[in-house]
Amino acid sequence: MSAYGEFETVMCDEKHLVDGLAEMGYRVEVHPEGSHLVGYHGDERPERAHVIIRRAELDSASNDIGFVRGTDGRFRAILSEYDRSIGFNDQWLGKVHQHYKEEQTLAAAKAKGYILRGREVIQTPNGPQIRLQFVAR
Amino acid sequence: MQQKTITVVIDEKGNSSVDLDGFAGQGCEKVLKDFQGQDRATMERKKSAFYSQTGSVRENLRRSAQ
Repeated sequence: MSAYGEFETVMCDEKHLVDGLAEMGYRVEVHPEGSHLVGYHGDERPERAHVIIRRAELDSASNDIGFVRGTDGRFRAILSEYDRSIGFNDQWLGKVHQHYKEEQTLAAAKAKGYILRGREVIQTPNGPQIRLQFVAR
Repeated sequence: MQQKTITVVIDEKGNSSVDLDGFAGQGCEKVLKDFQGQDRATMERKKSAFYSQTGSVRENLRRSAQ
């Protein structure tokens, strides 16, 4: 039997999120208990997050970007209006999800004994897609 | 024996599709689950290959019965 499925990515694994952000070139801080985000003036903001990209990694006028784990276990991003306006928008969040999913897929495949046979990036009008091919033992 | 392949495509929003080929029996549901992880399924279906394979098996049985 052969089958086909489509899935909406749910970011709930901290390791894959951190690894995915690292693949995008960001050094992140991980705070199991959460830590305050810092604004572009160096001011401590009220929001707390568990995974943080500090503003020094971003634009000179950026605020920290945080990912906070909700009660449902899912990570959601905290982004300022300014940072959204300079490119850390839904498209950027899509890339975060894409890198997360690639890390999660490679880790799951390795753990379950599937063998990676190829990886390619396919350019589409909507943006790059990642194609991974595995074989079962 | 046909090779069992799994093709995962991750789109620009991070959502994925998983396409299985060459699997026999109910094992492919487990393979789909392996690649789904904790993601939410938005669509799952058996591929036409499954039905055509079933049809060709039926045809072979019919021929051998003649």
